[in-house]
Amino acid sequence: MGALSLSSVSKFFGDQVGVANLTLDIEHGQTVVLFGHNGSGKTTLLRMLATLSRPTDGTISLDGTPLSRDRPHLRDEIGVVSHETYLYDELTARENLRLHARLHGVDPDRCAERLDAVGLTHRGSDPAGEFSHGMAKRLSFARATIHDPEVLLLDEPFSGLDRDSRGRIVARLRDLDDTTLLVATHDLDRGFDLADRVVLLADGRRVGDVTTATCAGPAAVERTYERRVAGSTG
Amino acid sequence: MSARQYLRVVREVARKDLLLELRGKRRFNGAGVLALLIVVVFSFAFVRQVESGAVVGRGSLWIALVFGAMLALSRGIATEETNAAIEGLLLAPVDRSAVYLGKVCSATVFVTVIGWTALVGVTIFLNAPFPPAVIGRLLVVFPLAALGFAAAGVLLTSLTLNSRLRESLLPVLLLPLVIPVVLAGMELTKATGPFLASGWFRILLVYDALVALAGWLSFEFVVEG
Repeated sequence: MGALSLSSVSKFFGDQVGVANLTLDIEHGQTVVLFGHNGSGKTTLLRMLATLSRPTDGTISLDGTPLSRDRPHLRDEIGVVSHETYLYDELTARENLRLHARLHGVDPDRCAERLDAVGLTHRGSDPAGEFSHGMAKRLSFARATIHDPEVLLLDEPFSGLDRDSRGRIVARLRDLDDTTLLVATHDLDRGFDLADRVVLLADGRRVGDVTTATCAGPAAVERTYERRVAGSTG
Repeated sequence: MSARQYLRVVREVARKDLLLELRGKRRFNGAGVLALLIVVVFSFAFVRQVESGAVVGRGSLWIALVFGAMLALSRGIATEETNAAIEGLLLAPVDRSAVYLGKVCSATVFVTVIGWTALVGVTIFLNAPFPPAVIGRLLVVFPLAALGFAAAGVLLTSLTLNSRLRESLLPVLLLPLVIPVVLAGMELTKATGPFLASGWFRILLVYDALVALAGWLSFEFVVEG
């Protein structure tokens, strides 16, 4: 469970290209980093995978089932940590988690354990609107994983986080052995250690696919990326 | 997806909206006060010039309700825009029409409360107490009119979500759409005749059913980019 497959997926916004003819297979339990500059199509791709946006063309499948079919059921397999937290500022941290637990039909008592996992037990009764960016992001992470999804989509999960918050999230991600992770980032230093693969995106197109075990590190991948981008535009 | 799951999401979305309102009173503070102010303006503008207090009362009641409801709907979607919270709801593992129905339920409650607030204002400021028979029928008419508003309003506010023109677009789109509700409401607030058998009551029922059905069927496509 948790294998993703994209076949010739494209997304256009009028004349603008979001994602162009992308084909990609991600195995169950794999951690894939989507790397690219701003506007390279990372967020557009994640939104399509999250069923928040429909592809203009092509097919996305989860465990062989196209996302266009049986979307409600497939949504239960997906968790999303976005730029935005998807939290209600007036609700407390605990109420936010309980809401999402109930929406996914899981036991709301799980919230206490999830709050503890992201180090927010002592702030459980405080409104989410009073949280710092890092705390809100940690709470958002707890929200996204409350239903133990098979696939976790993370859009710039480390941006704006201090070392402590980043460490907590990385530790939680390392615990998710059986979960397929897709991490979109423009900062390869953060996230490279987690990755099995790095998919390079530019202008909505895949310009490279690197296995981290066989490459020299994030700097080498970034050099490859810049070379490919220069090659594709030149 | 079972019916139980679906209804659970409807209930949770509605409950969340009501809890947010109880906590922040963002909608009622704005919309309720606006409704009362409209009634006050009417009381200054018309009460001495128009002979029939009942006519002014009916008119101001429904105009106050329309604008109060519009403000309430606009504030409701603003809450969902903050932190893109509505996208969290859209990730629930049920058909997205459940989110629509949940929001329609909560909006119906808000608009009904605004209606009663406007009625209190009309009674005090316009000195136009409606006969008990009218008050009795408003117990039925307000929720039905509120349902029509809510069904159309939730769909349109979702359509204009993330639009910078939302504040101006919403009245332009919503007002023409709810004209049948306003006309039916005005007619049904008259004291004469049995209202359950009247054509206006049937129009209100059919309008509610059609708009709610259209919203229920199209919500997924409206919110999905």
